[in-house]
Amino acid sequence: MNLLRRNLPGALVVGIPVLWILVFMLLPYGIIVTYSFWLKKYPTFLPAFQFGNYVTLFTDPQYLRVFLRTLKISLLVSAASFLLAYPFAYYLVFRCRSQALRTWLYMAVIAPLWVSYLLRAYIWKTILGTEGVLNSFLMWLRIIDEPSSLFLYNQFSMVVTLTYIFIPFMVMPIYTALEKIPVNLTEASADLGMSPWRSFWHVTLPLSLPGVAAGFTLTFCLSFGDFIAPFLVGGPDGNLVANVIATQFGAALNWPLGSALAIVMLIVVLSIVSVSDRLERKGLTGGT
Amino acid sequence: MAAIIELENLSKHYSPTIIGVDDVSLTVEDGEFVTLLGPSGCGKSTLLRMIGGFEAPTHGSIRLAGKDVTWDPPYKREVNMVFQDYALFPHMSVGENVGYGLKTLRLSKGEIATRVKDALSLVGLYDKVNQRPQQLSGGQRQRIALARAIVRRPKVLLLDEPLSALDAKLREQMQIELKHLHEKVGITFIMVTHDQTEALVMSDRVVVMESGRIAQEGRPQDLYDHPASPYVANFIGTTNFLPGTSGATQGRLTHVEAPGTTLRAELDAAPPPGREITIGFRPEKVRVLAETESAENTLSGRVAEVIYYGLGLRVAVELEGGARVFADSLLPDRLAQSVLPQIGQSMRLAVAPHNVFVFEGRVAP
Amino acid sequence: MTIKKGITAGCIAALTSGAAWAEGTINVLTWEGYADPSFITPFEETSGCKVNATYVGSNDDFAPKLMAGGGVYDLITPSIDTTQLMIDLGFVEPLDTAAITGWDGIYPKFLAQDGIQQDGAYYGMPYSWGAIAFMYLDSAFDTPPSSLDALWSEDLAGKISLWDDKSAIYVAARKNGDMDIYNLTDDQIAAAQDSLLAQKPLVRKYWATAGELVDLYKAGEVVISNTWAGYQSSLLAAEGVAVTEFIPEEGAEGWMDSWMVVKDTPNKDCAYKFLNMQLSELGQCGVANVNGYSAANASAAKACMTAEQYSALHQDDPDYLDSLLIWTPLGDRFETYTNAWNAVKAQ
Repeated sequence: MNLLRRNLPGALVVGIPVLWILVFMLLPYGIIVTYSFWLKKYPTFLPAFQFGNYVTLFTDPQYLRVFLRTLKISLLVSAASFLLAYPFAYYLVFRCRSQALRTWLYMAVIAPLWVSYLLRAYIWKTILGTEGVLNSFLMWLRIIDEPSSLFLYNQFSMVVTLTYIFIPFMVMPIYTALEKIPVNLTEASADLGMSPWRSFWHVTLPLSLPGVAAGFTLTFCLSFGDFIAPFLVGGPDGNLVANVIATQFGAALNWPLGSALAIVMLIVVLSIVSVSDRLERKGLTGGT
Repeated sequence: MAAIIELENLSKHYSPTIIGVDDVSLTVEDGEFVTLLGPSGCGKSTLLRMIGGFEAPTHGSIRLAGKDVTWDPPYKREVNMVFQDYALFPHMSVGENVGYGLKTLRLSKGEIATRVKDALSLVGLYDKVNQRPQQLSGGQRQRIALARAIVRRPKVLLLDEPLSALDAKLREQMQIELKHLHEKVGITFIMVTHDQTEALVMSDRVVVMESGRIAQEGRPQDLYDHPASPYVANFIGTTNFLPGTSGATQGRLTHVEAPGTTLRAELDAAPPPGREITIGFRPEKVRVLAETESAENTLSGRVAEVIYYGLGLRVAVELEGGARVFADSLLPDRLAQSVLPQIGQSMRLAVAPHNVFVFEGRVAP
Repeated sequence: MTIKKGITAGCIAALTSGAAWAEGTINVLTWEGYADPSFITPFEETSGCKVNATYVGSNDDFAPKLMAGGGVYDLITPSIDTTQLMIDLGFVEPLDTAAITGWDGIYPKFLAQDGIQQDGAYYGMPYSWGAIAFMYLDSAFDTPPSSLDALWSEDLAGKISLWDDKSAIYVAARKNGDMDIYNLTDDQIAAAQDSLLAQKPLVRKYWATAGELVDLYKAGEVVISNTWAGYQSSLLAAEGVAVTEFIPEEGAEGWMDSWMVVKDTPNKDCAYKFLNMQLSELGQCGVANVNGYSAANASAAKACMTAEQYSALHQDDPDYLDSLLIWTPLGDRFETYTNAWNAVKAQ
């Protein structure tokens, strides 16, 4: 009894997180893994151990097609976020002289995180729509004569919306990584004869790679699992993996296939996370 | 010898009231080891950074080997800097760090390797060529930073508080090493430090700075023996200060009135009589007189404090006039308890006329 | 008494009191307009039963919700293509039709539908019905469209919308001339799939919710689509957008929603009171007024509707009703249909 009492705080400290992981992570994943081997049989599905669902995923071209599309969209979102976020973060850290302006700009990027995801996606509907802000503006500029339907309900609008929604997750780690680079390293590079551009290429960029990797991972994984943007701003060719999973669990009532798809997606995301984790750690220690 | 660096009326004014460097003109000869000495905020680092090209002056010009480089960016100047915390690239090996500056020199691979090897051998760290800077000690990093800076064979090497991050023992060792390195490579060194010992030990010439301006420049022993102001006298070594009034001059000797006594000072240029002055003399130039001994320039008082510092003793004496001065003395071989002064005992001190400084005005620092 | 025992006792007390409270409460899983305060509030006042409504967005929500949390719901309202699944899954129990006043007033056509009875017993109580009609924006057409071909018209490229549902297969099959849309062969389904793929570049967006379709018309994004007859058109009319519903030459699907009682409900008493109310004039005209849907109880509708409404909702029009291809459970063909539609979306 005494022993138990003495060990109780320790047991709680270890036990609560372990229990948490067990109940909220391993157990659900275990259930999904189990389902993925089950057999679809009207009206529902039967317990079984077979790989038919996985076979379907890899043989029916519709799943590969959606998977590749999701990969493409996520990569485009990550790339667009990177191209926008890096110069922005760079400006904030190295060029922005006013502390107030820096805080203000940083908040301007981060603040949308406090706004509902749905609302933010909705905003783009009103901007990109046929009678939306962008079309009105272009017509006012006389660049186009009649409203274009090219901006909304296609993959472009999905990339734009997802980039807007997830870009804070690119800005934050890059900003942090750049901020951690001592100013005297770029000075040393200039001192050793490197032009600003070459200094950036040889010093600033490599040293900020851990932040870039983190940002890529975050934006990629978030877009990879998104199913709201296709629903709100995506067009007929906008179905992503998460939408297919939702369909399998809903309309198609094929939980086994949906589970198999979820497991495949999980494996993809986990491998990306582990690769980027390795990259980050490499950058952190500077080890080879 | 030819001038390698010529600073002409160089100023850096951040705003009308915030002044970093104020109208500094300085010439550094080729091969010289010059130290910019002063407390933090005196403008020495700003001056160095302007020579390196990291800050633009608001006025004046910089010439390097006769060529105006005032507006050249750092990467176009044939000077290299050893940064205060070394600024080694953490994502590169020691060899890559040292070879980094050679990338722009259009050298062959083999030549780069040879130069890197030579530079690292010079600082005795060629065996660390494949390690990362993070794996090295502070002293080793310091040497890598040196090797990286000299490998490009710059006309001038700038050192910004190069030893401040090292512990005392290593610092002393590195002072000598740096001095030897300077002799070996023959490059002009301009170093910034706030440590007077460092400045005296290493430099050919010391430039003492105060509030953005040059307070005095000269060889270490000249600065030590003939400080131009109480500020310099106090910054280099320790100095006792007494308020005084100038008196009559006979030849090279000038009478000065100090509280409770009159002293004679041997001066090159004496102030006119009746001026308010500040008298200074160094504790180690003060002689403690035996009871019956008579001497020129005596001061009497009572012992207020006795500080033992191994090498010798420092005695604080409260003079009859109320001022307090220090007197240093080396201890004899065998320390007998009886020779140690007792607090409260009376004591007479003497200071030779050629060891008395006289500064105009009552501006004790 | 130890503290532990006290807590246990307290928990039991809390649980039993919760159960007691639940006796006069029924939980319904239904469409938003089917538990409107305009008829639920009077029901609660007269019956003493409290109604807790949870809303579904699609027929696909019923099975997962009932699978996940068994025993929470007392009543559900799946459409006629989903009722059979509920029976097959064993989620619902046979109805005591004798206890439902007004049962005899229900259109015989509905009572004869597949999917609401099994082994001679009724499981579903027909409630409301309508067509999956088509709709166009008045200002966009000089000559009103009359055929499904309009939804494949190049001239309307980028202005077409279609319901994101397996119903798309039904539409495409009819366009191809395959009118037995609930018994399509694999080849016919493949042909429908091809037609939908051909149509895809012309489609602005597949609509998923009623509100979404309304938004698409409002924002000027689409000018023609299918629709839940009576519902979105009235919402658009309220917004000042003039649209017209039409039944194309190729016909339209019809749907019918039924109330079903979840198996072993402890609130049978209130559940049957609720069923009676929904089939009475209060419920029948209530659902018609709120949603614009037609009523399943012909006699109740006749009694509570104005002549115009009665006629507008085709309550007196047996031919209209017969022209509709009322949804039929697809059974084990269900997967083939949904898979075909998913493949179109995946393309």
